Amino acid sequence: MRAVEPWVEGPLAAFLDESAARLTLLMTSAGQVLAQHGFTRAFDVMSAAALGAGIMASTDELARLMDAPPFRALAHQGVQHGLFLSGFDTPQGRWIGLVVFGPESSLGLVQLFFQRLVADLAKQAPTEAPSNRVLASDFEDELNASLRTLFGQ
Amino acid sequence: MPEFATALDLITRVHGVRGAMLVSVSDGLVVAESSMDGVDGAPVAALTASLAGRLRRTTEAAGRRLPTFIHLRAATGTVLAVPSNDDLLVVTIGAPDINVGLARLEMLHVAERGI
Amino acid sequence: MRSVGAMSDSIRAMTAQLVSDPASMIFLPLGEALRQRGQLDAAEKVALAGLGRYSESADAHDLYARILGDRGQLELAFDEWDIALRLEPDHVGAHKGIGFLYFVAGELDRALAHLETAARKLPDDDGAQTALARVKEALARRAAAGNGAGRETETAVLTEEQAVVPGADPSRLFLGLEGAEDGLLLLDTRGLRLGGGLTSPEGDDVADAVSAHLAGVSQEASRTARLLGLGAWISLAAESPDGHLFVVAPTPETLLLLVREQSVPLGRLAVVADHAAGVARAWLEGLQ
Repeated sequence: MRAVEPWVEGPLAAFLDESAARLTLLMTSAGQVLAQHGFTRAFDVMSAAALGAGIMASTDELARLMDAPPFRALAHQGVQHGLFLSGFDTPQGRWIGLVVFGPESSLGLVQLFFQRLVADLAKQAPTEAPSNRVLASDFEDELNASLRTLFGQ
Repeated sequence: MPEFATALDLITRVHGVRGAMLVSVSDGLVVAESSMDGVDGAPVAALTASLAGRLRRTTEAAGRRLPTFIHLRAATGTVLAVPSNDDLLVVTIGAPDINVGLARLEMLHVAERGI
Repeated sequence: MRSVGAMSDSIRAMTAQLVSDPASMIFLPLGEALRQRGQLDAAEKVALAGLGRYSESADAHDLYARILGDRGQLELAFDEWDIALRLEPDHVGAHKGIGFLYFVAGELDRALAHLETAARKLPDDDGAQTALARVKEALARRAAAGNGAGRETETAVLTEEQAVVPGADPSRLFLGLEGAEDGLLLLDTRGLRLGGGLTSPEGDDVADAVSAHLAGVSQEASRTARLLGLGAWISLAAESPDGHLFVVAPTPETLLLLVREQSVPLGRLAVVADHAAGVARAWLEGLQ
């Protein structure tokens, strides 16, 4: 498990321990990766983050068309694995969690402990806003720096 | 599912029962619930389904057929579970002095009806 | 065998090296040394920190799997060894580990495949060679009995994994109690059998496989009771058409399983289990 911000590690470790999630990704709503667990390649992290953020953006748009509030979460169930995606607000802005789990866990367990993760992150988050906002032109540098931190390179 | 609501209500009338629900085992999600007096159904469903799954694998390892009734006794409460069909569980949460025998009978009635 | 003092010095030296160079691979021998000393929390921290940097290291996944195995989290251990083999298909430690898990689960053919690979790569490793020999014996007995569909198991082959208690005879643990030889099982919370025995209705020895599963069951029972605000768990009972199971914890580090035929009411099982737990506590105290 790796996280760009150290204060994320404790809550995320607790979530992973209880939920037995196989893969976990925390990212901003723009797809910037903040923490990951279980991925072995940087390319997979980037792809999953982009796809996850895209799915959430699509469902948000669907909700808007339905004149409904944004969907809090969505889940897919495959033969061997399940996928859970949820957006949530933090003092640092809107984040998205992407969780992949196997038969040793369940959607109910992932949802249960994800709620705790969100609450724990809210408690641990620094109250001051991030000192530098990421500009579009800095985004790639920021992404690469995050990936280096996440993979310890 | 009004018929399940009625059946679950019968369980909640047993002495010591705080609430009863139907749970999907594979998802750990609530399917139907009744009178969960101060009890959040979601964690009950997720955790009991997980426990039932582990017990199932243990009884298989012991060469026994799958459990038909599960009773978890704790310091300040009780969790009971009865598998219904392949993927459903009737779950009851109760006080330490719950009438386990009667609750078990009512839960078996609900489980036999299936969905 | 290294002295305790020498091992402590070695751990200190490796820790210092890791602190000065967090990217060092010294986390592998350090994590293993901590695991062997039973310091599983520390070993896990070291292993996870290493995995965070070297997520594509099969050795790192192997180390973490061994720690998970010691904790009785066998399913997660299996996943880690599975990852190790995907990263490095010939990884000997992963083949040994998965081979052991298959053996405990009674899947002798799969155990054989993995242990043969491990033994071939390490002809001088006594553990791998002994494990392989025992699996072959078990398979030969199964074939001789003509029970192709049976899941014959025996006590775990990797004896270094057993919680062997010096000075005590585990076979006498429940002597005199009803079901002393079959249907009463004492294990530690890592899923390793301490005494007693259990067979399936077909007569197969399933004690070690059930012990391995029960560790996870007790953790789940404890978590369920705690997170639902019910306090500490006291007992777990299950009725099955082939018999009733009853689990209690005689001490915080041990679990007791009682299995009886269906005709014995659950209420009676609770009384018998309480008595057996007392016997287990006295036996454990006698070992101190």
